[in-house]
Amino acid sequence: MTMRRLHVLLIASASLTASLSIAQTPPAPTPGQPRPGGGIGFAKTVPQIASGAWNGARLADGQPDIAGHWSNTIANHSNWTDPQGGAPGEKPRGPERPRDQRAPSRVSDPADGQVPYLPAARALQEDFAKNFANPTKPQYIEPLARCAPGGVPKSFIWHGYEIRQYPGYLVFLFNSGTRIIRLDGKPHLPANIKLWNADSRGHWEGNTLVVDVSNNNAKALFGRTGDFASENVHIVERYIFDNDGKRYNYVATFEDPTVYSRPWTATIPARRYTEADPAGGEWHYEANVANRPGKPLLHERMERMCVENNGPFGGGAVGVPLTDPIIDR
Amino acid sequence: MMRASMPWKSAGGILLAGIAAVALNGATSDARSPSGKSQNPDQAQTHPLAQIPRLASGKPDFSGIWQTLSEADYDLEPHSGRRDAPPSAGIVEGGQIPYLPKALAQKQHNFAARAKDDPRLKCWSLGVPRSVYYPAPFQIFQRDRDLTLVHQLGNQVRTIHTNETQHPESVESNFWLGDSRGHWEGDTLVVDVTDNNDETWLDRAGNYHSEDLHVVERWTFVDKDTIAYTATLDDKSVFSRPWTIHVLLNRRRDKNFELIEDYCYTLPYDEYYPHKGGK
Repeated sequence: MTMRRLHVLLIASASLTASLSIAQTPPAPTPGQPRPGGGIGFAKTVPQIASGAWNGARLADGQPDIAGHWSNTIANHSNWTDPQGGAPGEKPRGPERPRDQRAPSRVSDPADGQVPYLPAARALQEDFAKNFANPTKPQYIEPLARCAPGGVPKSFIWHGYEIRQYPGYLVFLFNSGTRIIRLDGKPHLPANIKLWNADSRGHWEGNTLVVDVSNNNAKALFGRTGDFASENVHIVERYIFDNDGKRYNYVATFEDPTVYSRPWTATIPARRYTEADPAGGEWHYEANVANRPGKPLLHERMERMCVENNGPFGGGAVGVPLTDPIIDR
Repeated sequence: MMRASMPWKSAGGILLAGIAAVALNGATSDARSPSGKSQNPDQAQTHPLAQIPRLASGKPDFSGIWQTLSEADYDLEPHSGRRDAPPSAGIVEGGQIPYLPKALAQKQHNFAARAKDDPRLKCWSLGVPRSVYYPAPFQIFQRDRDLTLVHQLGNQVRTIHTNETQHPESVESNFWLGDSRGHWEGDTLVVDVTDNNDETWLDRAGNYHSEDLHVVERWTFVDKDTIAYTATLDDKSVFSRPWTIHVLLNRRRDKNFELIEDYCYTLPYDEYYPHKGGK
């Protein structure tokens, strides 16, 4: 009974196979065969979507209506700068292809596709990548494997997610963690409050949701390659929605003078999932068919729980307390 | 004119009788009528129920951040003050939870082991109804098709569907927060919660339930900043009969108050990130 919703950790680290008996592995993409969910789960390119006017549907409060289910189109969080290149120390899923036949780096600026780390920060990232496949210290276990929230930006490359909209808010329901984006113009939380999902204040500019992100505890790594920021990071996100309502690009600028030599930009393409896509577990679209006999098909989100279901997943080497209290309030 | 939304209609206790009387008076005077044809306009404008927020559809709008002032989470039943709980008259209608004899023994075992075994101590999901009266804020986001309850503690997010969908015909296994299907009876949101798992407790005193738990919640505004919350719990494996709790939920109105994430289950390991050796 405690094993419900194991697909929250479908794409777990091969280095943690001892704990993986409870998880499943999604089928590798077959060349020439469309994947469930529209066949672009491993797209090779990033579509161009320009910032501009919004001509689509709007909610009563004036926001562009983009509520629904979304997921990225090019891979998961195995590798930040070579999304289809596989996790460090592991082979890529699917057939091996030369770099120029895989999706581009998520780093869209600088042009070389690399995060412009300062030397000490680069050494930390590389140390993590080198140790990821065989973690000998707690710090080498990817925090998401321990059910930590995906945080910013990794939540956007980790399973599908749902966006719900309300006057003054957007709510992102991720596979691991929930993020509330406030549109009320109020200032950020006090600077010493640091959060897995950071503190988000947004506004709409035409088809683009612009979000100022601060208060990031920066503990959620960007992926299995160990790319990271510090808690000094300031992120400005631009969610640029295509007017056809089917896609958006996540374009985020990262500024952190304690980790990077210059600001840099990440781009993550996403597509919408709807009742036209199959429901029931594919990791881009974890939805169920609502029970309403005689009425049109309707999908609804599955409950997401992680630590409660997976226990010491990923923590076997270091012992995540499972039975002992961890708070006393 | 009486309305179907009569709060506390199943409540026989005296705990909140005064509030119930106020609410019933409001219903009788039709103070909530959008037509404004009340016989006493002054009373209609000033009556607490005339000022409750509503969606464009006319349904009550529970959007906002809520929290109980009660001691319910310490112990649902009446109890004296003790080391780990302030005194309280409890929130159980009639006083005691009607345990079956064998289940009472389990509850007493839970009570003895509460300092270690309460699932809350691991920052895990609290289930329904405990997530509602746990003393931390939760935020309701509401649309016509559903209500989304984001609880500050842990990563508890519950959807209450209000789009005329039914419970799943079958589930592969049960849910931490159950499956919640709501409908409106006048201005009362009635929520049927099934498919609960048996991992959660009902309070810090070890009151508990099994997978057979079935909860019917009733959410009703008392005034624009107060919700009367009632839950009736039925569990044939644990209780001899259904029983009911009543608690008030208060809108958090502190200046600039907002939910702050509290993923406390990460506390044992968060010191190791990013790329840190820990203490």
